[in-house]
Amino acid sequence: MIKLFTLKQQKKDGESGPDRGKRASAAQLRIQKDINELNLPKTCQVDFPDPDDLLNFKVVIAPDEEFYRGGRFVFSFKVGQGYPHDPPKVKCETMVYHPNIDLEGNVCLNILREDWKPVLTINSIVYGLQYLFLEPNPEDPLNKEAAEVLQTNRRLFEQNVAKSMRGGHIGNVYFDRCLK
Amino acid sequence: MGNSWTGVATWKWIANDDNCGICRMAFDGCCPDCKLPGDDCPLVWGQCSHVFHMHCIVKWLQSQSTNSPCPMCRQEWKWKAG
Repeated sequence: MIKLFTLKQQKKDGESGPDRGKRASAAQLRIQKDINELNLPKTCQVDFPDPDDLLNFKVVIAPDEEFYRGGRFVFSFKVGQGYPHDPPKVKCETMVYHPNIDLEGNVCLNILREDWKPVLTINSIVYGLQYLFLEPNPEDPLNKEAAEVLQTNRRLFEQNVAKSMRGGHIGNVYFDRCLK
Repeated sequence: MGNSWTGVATWKWIANDDNCGICRMAFDGCCPDCKLPGDDCPLVWGQCSHVFHMHCIVKWLQSQSTNSPCPMCRQEWKWKAG
């Protein structure tokens, strides 16, 4: 076993970084498989602004139940050359009133950070994001105000979400309309 | 001088899965960093019975600073003796 470790180590260097036009990189090969195997519910959709670039794309989630029903939320995915050893960078481009998404679009989802493992796929992340809209989690908030309202007054939280999706102020923050 | 023979052999890794969960390439192929399958790009097993291309799992374990879980089951990765 020890011998195995030293095998072929030298080959690993020079093989990172984007090599467009040449042999597809490990990240490109892997993302291609992920995309081919996507199996998403009708509430989720993937868009490629540049069809030749599989490493940068958008995921649109339009929940059909619970608090965020009727909304339409766009996430940008940036898949680095370290994929699948590093998770993609995911940001929410739609401003949303949500305990686990801050107003800059940072998303708090365990599998995008500490619980990422390379056997997870784009499909797993999309399901994770969809789950955030069905079960917002006030325990680990990025938007503390929203989390507090969810914890103390579910009814008010529901009203705030509806108001934010119609376009309006929650406190002194303005949310753009994001209803379908 | 009589008949001549051309030898042909096939080989296969015996694994309980077809693809490496990390790179998703076939076990009978090689990891994306290699060109030829076989002894140069071997498979390795953990005590949890999960199997990966050696290069894929080593890269993952090296990227983990503290504990190194199996990417499949999150148990601590322990090499299964050959």
